[in-house]
Formats: sequence, C-alpha cells, structure tokens
Amino acid sequence: MKALLCSSFVLLNSSFCFAQEPAPVPAKKPATDGKVWGALVYATTDAAKLTGSTEKAPENQKDLSGRLGKVFTPYTHFEIIGQHVQDVFREYESWVVPSRDLFLKIDSKGPAAGGGMNLHLQVWREQQVLVKTDAVLHPGSPLFIGGPKWRDGQLLFVLDLAKK
Amino acid sequence: MKTPSDENHDLIRWLDGEMTADERRAFEATLQNDPELAAEAESMRQLSESLKTHLPAEMPVPHADFFNSQIQVRIAQMELDEAREREKAAESTAGWLSWLRMPWLAGAAAAAFAIAGLVWTQNSSNGTSTIASTYTPNPSVHAQVFHSSDAQATVLMLDGLEPVPAEKKIVGFRVHRAESDAEVATTTLFDENGSVLAVVALNAKGQPQVLK
Repeated sequence: MKALLCSSFVLLNSSFCFAQEPAPVPAKKPATDGKVWGALVYATTDAAKLTGSTEKAPENQKDLSGRLGKVFTPYTHFEIIGQHVQDVFREYESWVVPSRDLFLKIDSKGPAAGGGMNLHLQVWREQQVLVKTDAVLHPGSPLFIGGPKWRDGQLLFVLDLAKK
Repeated sequence: MKTPSDENHDLIRWLDGEMTADERRAFEATLQNDPELAAEAESMRQLSESLKTHLPAEMPVPHADFFNSQIQVRIAQMELDEAREREKAAESTAGWLSWLRMPWLAGAAAAAFAIAGLVWTQNSSNGTSTIASTYTPNPSVHAQVFHSSDAQATVLMLDGLEPVPAEKKIVGFRVHRAESDAEVATTTLFDENGSVLAVVALNAKGQPQVLK
C-alpha cells in the first residue's frame, strides 16, 4: 500500500497522490470481529431536490426508505449518497467512509450476547467529532443517526451489522 | 457570563480542534483580549506539543493476540455465568416462598438482581441494537437516543448541529473494502474493482483526513 503513496507523504500532513491502480493484496489479513454496512443518506420532502446519486441499497436493505420514513418525518424521499461495506478489525480502528464529509470510526469491543457486537463509535464531520458513543449492534437492527441539515433536507447515517 | 471552568472547557476544545469555525473565531478573539487566558493557552499548547513529540502516537500492545484472547475468554465466562444465573432463577421460581425464610434484605437484593438481569437480557440479547452512552464534545449539540419499533431501528438524533452549507457538494463513495496500515496510521479505501478511492490518515492532532 505504501507504494501507492507518493514520496512527498511526510508526517501525514503532506499532500497525497496515487495512481488509480489495483493495490497489492496484503500478505496477512488482520483479524476481524464482523462486518458492517454504512451509508450516507440524503432525506428530503422534494424529489426534485435529490442529488441524482445512482447508489442502490443492498438486497438486505430493500425496505430502508420505508423504515427511515417512519423515523425521520416529514421527509418522504431518501437517497443513498454513498455506502461502505467494512470489516470491523479486532485490533485496529475501522473507518466507515461513505463520504469524505460525514463518516464513522469504529473500535470493536468484542462480541455481545445474541450474535451482536460491542462497539465504540465516533461520528466525524470532516475533522470535527460530532458524537462518541458505546453501542451494541445486532444484525438487522440498524442504527439510524440523524445528522446535520443540508439544502432543504437532512443528512442521515445508517449503520447495520452484517449477519455472519 | 462565562465561568473559569467554561473557559477551561473551551480551551481544551480549542486545543483538540473540536470547535466549529464560528466558535473558534470567537474563542480566538477572546484570547486576544485576555492575556492571562492567552498565556494559559500557550502553556497548554506547548505542553501538548511536547507530549506529542516525546510520546509515540501509537504504541503496540505487547502480546496483543494473547490479550485479546484472554478478554474473549473472560467475556465467554461472564456470559456463561449469566446464563447459569438465569437458569437458577427460573428453577427457583416454583419455590419462591422459600425466600421468606431468608433475611428480608437478601431477598430484596436477589429479586432486584433477577429483575435487573431480566431487563439487561431483554435489552442486549433480543436482537435489538442499543446505545449505552453518548458524548457530544460540542455543548450545543444534544444526542437523543430512542428505539423505533415501527422502523425496527435504534435512533441517535443529533440536535443543534450546524447545517452543511447548501452550496457544498457532497460526493459519496462506494467502498468495497479497506486496508489499515498501523505503521503510518492510514486506512486505504478500495472500490469493488480494487482501485483506491481515498485514504484516511490521522493528522498530528489525531483528527482524520480523508485524502482523495
């Protein structure tokens, strides 16, 4: 991976440049505790205001708009702007980044009873942490996060633990 | 009127980069008019820089695999103990009158334990996600947590956030997988074709930067 970073990468603050080439497969995959799906969603009442994103919800999230509509009233249209399937690393922090504007940091705290997972979550808006939280996530029981207002609607974050 | 503890809180948030742009401007204006606070800020900044210089940003956990395995063993033991407690409580339900022979306080404590265990079990192991605690560094932001049965989801509502400017274009990613490199504290995000979408790197303050 380091080969992808240009030589001007110094102390993490330098500018990055890299070629859009497939990365080499790592020699050893780090241990994981599970997998999550995260999405950044734009909620609005006006279909004409949607961004035109072509992102589709995965098969197991087909009723996502309906479920979001039950919580985030008065919004009627929910558009996925970005999505991210991420392994939850056991020993390292994991980042769920469906967009560079709003993203999540996850630290695994190990398995929970009933097939769930104990997690420490941080919601970041660029370089500002919005909330830090300890949560127990179960597959099929997503976490909906109501984020900042944008345009005439609101940005939402959805996080769901994948079934093993 | 701000109290000294408010100022300390603001100072820490300023040093940690947790202020919004407006808050930062206001606080820096305050610093210019308050030499004492400015001196304290400079002193804390130097201390912070010194710590960052002399302490490594990340320290490897010695024998991390063993440490993790021991934690998992302990969690498994606790879950087993709790399951046994529940079984014992269920078995003793038929003979609950025998509690009357126990000292009153011990009986009440046992009942409270059983009820607490039941509540804990319902919340944590019935397949419903839960949130145990929240902390919002910005005091004007409030986190509200509730469960929506209709949506079958747990909701964390953040009120008081600054709106994202309407003219800002928000571009999404479709991230298929990521690789972390602990040595340089970066995570590289890949699309489904294996091409690099972005790199998440931590700056000197420990804040993430998504570099594209």
